[in-house]
Amino acid sequence: MKLNWFTRKGIIYWPASIIGWIILVLAAAYAVYTFIDIDSRSHSVSDVMINFVFNALLIGLVYSIIGYFTEVRGEVD
Amino acid sequence: MTEDEDFLTKMGNLNVPEVNPTAHPKMVKMAIMSAERSAALGFWLVAVPCYFLACVFMYYFFNRQVSWFGAMFKLSEGLDKTPGIDFMAPIVLVVLPIVCIVINALAITHVHYEKNPGGKPGAKEFVISIKLKTWNIVLILISLVIVFAFIAFSMTENISIRS
Repeated sequence: MKLNWFTRKGIIYWPASIIGWIILVLAAAYAVYTFIDIDSRSHSVSDVMINFVFNALLIGLVYSIIGYFTEVRGEVD
Repeated sequence: MTEDEDFLTKMGNLNVPEVNPTAHPKMVKMAIMSAERSAALGFWLVAVPCYFLACVFMYYFFNRQVSWFGAMFKLSEGLDKTPGIDFMAPIVLVVLPIVCIVINALAITHVHYEKNPGGKPGAKEFVISIKLKTWNIVLILISLVIVFAFIAFSMTENISIRS
């Protein structure tokens, strides 16, 4: 079964269906939640940035893995 | 009639060139995975360890009294504040670059096994072709550097703990 949830534009997977948009919104919401959580436990801005950017990249990785397997397939190279 | 017979005799004695249709030089070489998609996913797989190494570099650059591996150890401790990161660190920092190497290598390599190549009986050939796709090769090299850096860090950490 083909799951055409995302289309790839360079390295970014853009939603191509409602489910894709839901996944994007959930990822953004989790990123905001993570930022607030890390900020509440950190002692400095650099502490926040190191931990949050790490988490944000992990969220982007999971999002890209989902997009990779549910991409609308285009031309074969 | 004699000329006709001579002609027929000559035509009958002609050596017919041997053509081997299996030895066609051009063939479609399909890789197992798409190069562009592998490169796109590979970027995200190496982004996290590259960011970590960038932080280590900045810590090392602004704290000259700390060695490179000391900087890595300090930042690894800092990451432990985030729940779930402490056990994910080895997976993220070693496994993901290895996965990146695998998917990009599969995207640019093509293997072909041939028996009796060029009509030589008993000969066997195993041909590995590598497509020169810039971004895939760059990602493989970056992933190799990351993997070796973390292996060296683990070995150094083990040696310093034992001593």
